[in-house]
Amino acid sequence: MSPAVGRASSRGDTLRFLLCLALSGVALVLPAAWVYPLTTAIRETALLPVVWVQQRAEEDRGSRARLKAVTAERDAAALKAQSLTGILTENERLRALLSLRQKITFPTVAAEVLHQVSATDGRTLLLSAGRRAGILPGDAVVSAEGLVGLVVSAGPASSIAMTWAHPDFRVSGVTEDGSVLGIVGPASTPNASEAFLEYRGVPYRDTVPAGTLVLSSGISGQYPKGVPIGRIAGIRREELGWERIYRITPLANPGQISHVLVYVIRAARRPDPPATDSIP
Amino acid sequence: MSTKRRPAERYPIIIVIALLLALHFYLRPRLWDGRGAPDFLLLALLLVALRSRPGTAAIVGFLVGLITDVLTPARFGAGALAHTVVAYLAAWGRAVFFPDNVLVSAGLFAGAVWVRTAILLLASGAAAGELASGLGFWAPLQAATTAVAGVVLLLVARDRLAIRLDE
Repeated sequence: MSPAVGRASSRGDTLRFLLCLALSGVALVLPAAWVYPLTTAIRETALLPVVWVQQRAEEDRGSRARLKAVTAERDAAALKAQSLTGILTENERLRALLSLRQKITFPTVAAEVLHQVSATDGRTLLLSAGRRAGILPGDAVVSAEGLVGLVVSAGPASSIAMTWAHPDFRVSGVTEDGSVLGIVGPASTPNASEAFLEYRGVPYRDTVPAGTLVLSSGISGQYPKGVPIGRIAGIRREELGWERIYRITPLANPGQISHVLVYVIRAARRPDPPATDSIP
Repeated sequence: MSTKRRPAERYPIIIVIALLLALHFYLRPRLWDGRGAPDFLLLALLLVALRSRPGTAAIVGFLVGLITDVLTPARFGAGALAHTVVAYLAAWGRAVFFPDNVLVSAGLFAGAVWVRTAILLLASGAAAGELASGLGFWAPLQAATTAVAGVVLLLVARDRLAIRLDE
């Protein structure tokens, strides 16, 4: 290989190393309110070419390798849509009979997921669309399978989504029949082969059978109502006889998805852009 | 021994690093997108670290780690810490005992990936399960693919990089 680099343990080298360690330590303890604006600023300036190149690569791969899959999905969706017309008409008629307001629907923006090789990729995802497409921090991110997470930082051309695998992730959930409410969050498990969510706050008197689909309840307004989160896989534990915590197998796998839809809820509700570009 | 190089000697390494960056950000997402994919960015860092003083390597490692943190801000600073340590150790270790051997170089690349992932996961506060799967499966897989990519690079570009290999 190359020639030897000389005496390694000089004072200057050690000082530089310690300085870098100290700076890394400072970065580690920075509050999230500073981290997301900082990373967005760097991503949208110095690293813009890198994000642009990776986005082109994703688009190229998507346009070739996934053409058959996308065509098949489109055909299946078209078939399903044919039967939807009748259901929508019936739904509108029943809503009118009950004097209910028109159901709120939010526009969506499609984005590619730009995966990194980092070990923590999957907790946060880099998305190829940002504020220019209407995405704002707090918008929900879904895939074809179900809920993925929410946007925590949005720059002009890219954004960062926190997925359900992130320790800070929480969503208000409800069972498919609407009978049992709870809070869904990631589980910390010692078993390496398992990655699942927990359905917390379920009263002891309520029993949720395995296989039940859990959807977002839409109570907080953070996530749209009715987005699939996962299926109940069994009871995880019981807390002092007043609540049961269930295990949920998530439907969407953040490490595998390549495309997502972002519900541009914030932009739809508030036309004026916010002063900050991240969630504090 | 001095590590200062003439500008003409730097061009090959600059070209190789540019190639590695292109592989990392353009070719890798097209071919193999996942945690087991070779980390060309770390390979580029190690190539620089092996030709630099430990202090310089630490600074370059910090900057590379900062890039990974910006693109994956699950725990900002963890990547910078991990890459700083790996680059410093690679430069220091190279200066002390690393021979010019293909297998040892492969071991260096693989070890660097594993150590980097270990520090990254520990600094990120990964749960026991994530730590076990990361260090027991994903890190060894990525270490193996990165080592293979690194050895291929060394064999192909050894003349341009003025690398002497004892095969």
